[in-house]
Amino acid sequence: MDISYIGLVFALLLLIFPILIFLQLKLKLIGQLFTSFGRMIVQLSLMGVWLEFLFTQEISWLTLIWMVVMVSNAVFTLRGRLKFQRHILLPIIATALATTSLVLMPWILIMVIRPQPIFSPEFAIPIYGMVLGNSMNSLALAMERFESGMSDNWRAYYTRLSLGANLWEAALPTFRKAMHASLLPQLLSVASMGVVSLPGMMTGQILGGASPLVAIKYQMMIMIAIFSGVCLTDYLGIRLYLRKRFDIYYLPKEDK
Amino acid sequence: MLDINIKRLYYGDKTLLTDLNLVVKPRERILIVGPTGMGKSSLLHTFNLMNQNYDGSIMFEGKDLREYAPHDLRSQICQVMQEPYLGEGSVEDVLQEPLSYHSNHHSNSKERRQRMLALFENFRLPESHLSKQAEQLSGGEKQRVALVRTLLLNPKILLLDEISSALDQNTSGIISDCIFNNYPGAVIAISHDPLWRERWDRNWTLQDGKIIDNREF
Repeated sequence: MDISYIGLVFALLLLIFPILIFLQLKLKLIGQLFTSFGRMIVQLSLMGVWLEFLFTQEISWLTLIWMVVMVSNAVFTLRGRLKFQRHILLPIIATALATTSLVLMPWILIMVIRPQPIFSPEFAIPIYGMVLGNSMNSLALAMERFESGMSDNWRAYYTRLSLGANLWEAALPTFRKAMHASLLPQLLSVASMGVVSLPGMMTGQILGGASPLVAIKYQMMIMIAIFSGVCLTDYLGIRLYLRKRFDIYYLPKEDK
Repeated sequence: MLDINIKRLYYGDKTLLTDLNLVVKPRERILIVGPTGMGKSSLLHTFNLMNQNYDGSIMFEGKDLREYAPHDLRSQICQVMQEPYLGEGSVEDVLQEPLSYHSNHHSNSKERRQRMLALFENFRLPESHLSKQAEQLSGGEKQRVALVRTLLLNPKILLLDEISSALDQNTSGIISDCIFNNYPGAVIAISHDPLWRERWDRNWTLQDGKIIDNREF
């Protein structure tokens, strides 16, 4: 069942509650609320029109070009979010996200869903969006944790070096902690699936008229793909970061 | 063993020391003395590739330091720091960790345990401390465990950076006895501790951007 535009206006009116709460608490988030939802409306409307066009075309190369646009956007968004070592981050983030995409997407499309044609936009684009969005957020968290873990305790790192550790051995405990911090919330959210939360994709599909059993299969697939993507991206990102962050004597390079 | 020819040693852009021509022989015990900020630590850190900010060359057993894989060199020229970092887990875990590094794989595991116990005895640490959590140790115990951890690697040269500055006289005495009586390699140390002063083969005194190499005090 479609939602009418009047219905959407009523949905928008729900924002009255956060606005009233912000006013009473003198919470300076009202400006941000209007900016955020304003952007959301504009971006999603444009995206709706664009996807509507893309889906009617069924042209694989157009889908592929759009996926490249998506990943480029993710790379620059992520680089903007990270506040350290920015001069070395671009190739690291790009390589990590691109490699994950190149491994996961063909796997899902060719081996799991098998649509005809393989790069049908209505499958490739929403799934890629979910994998990419989660990988991007998780990489941001993992890299922030890794960098702050190193900066907070250089003494530990130098001690390991001075006892004969190589770069990998000296950085491994911090690497491990960063991966743990980034992956544990993902695993907990997987575990709560179906009991605590009915996830967005599944809800969307059910509301769109799909059978719950089909929706569940898609949801399982997407959760597995997201977790695998997140893990791969974090791992590649930090490994590449290690190589750029330290010199040939394993000493940290200065932040420019 | 160590052949030092440094034309200039820098700290950032500032020149700290010039024209250093020094030699360290096996088993030699050398003390670096001089006022704070003159470059004692900067010099000490050049010997294990922790500081590259110099012009010139340092040869270790006939090969330039920079030609070694850093981890291989640092497993032979080991440094103990002023404030020891032991990490998490039991004391035994702390002592085992560096032995798992690739560069230290050559050591024999049976002998290791015996050496560990022998070193514990030398440093007057009770064996029961092995199962204790490292964070629970006192400052003096931590420094002794850090030394045991380093000595277990059988380094050829031991670099000591003010290791007794935060310790009481008794602990400082135990540590200096152990190092001077039992450790077979060369030692290069920075120390202001009067207890340590009598036992050195020679001292390098930093003065006006140069080093004066004295054979005795």
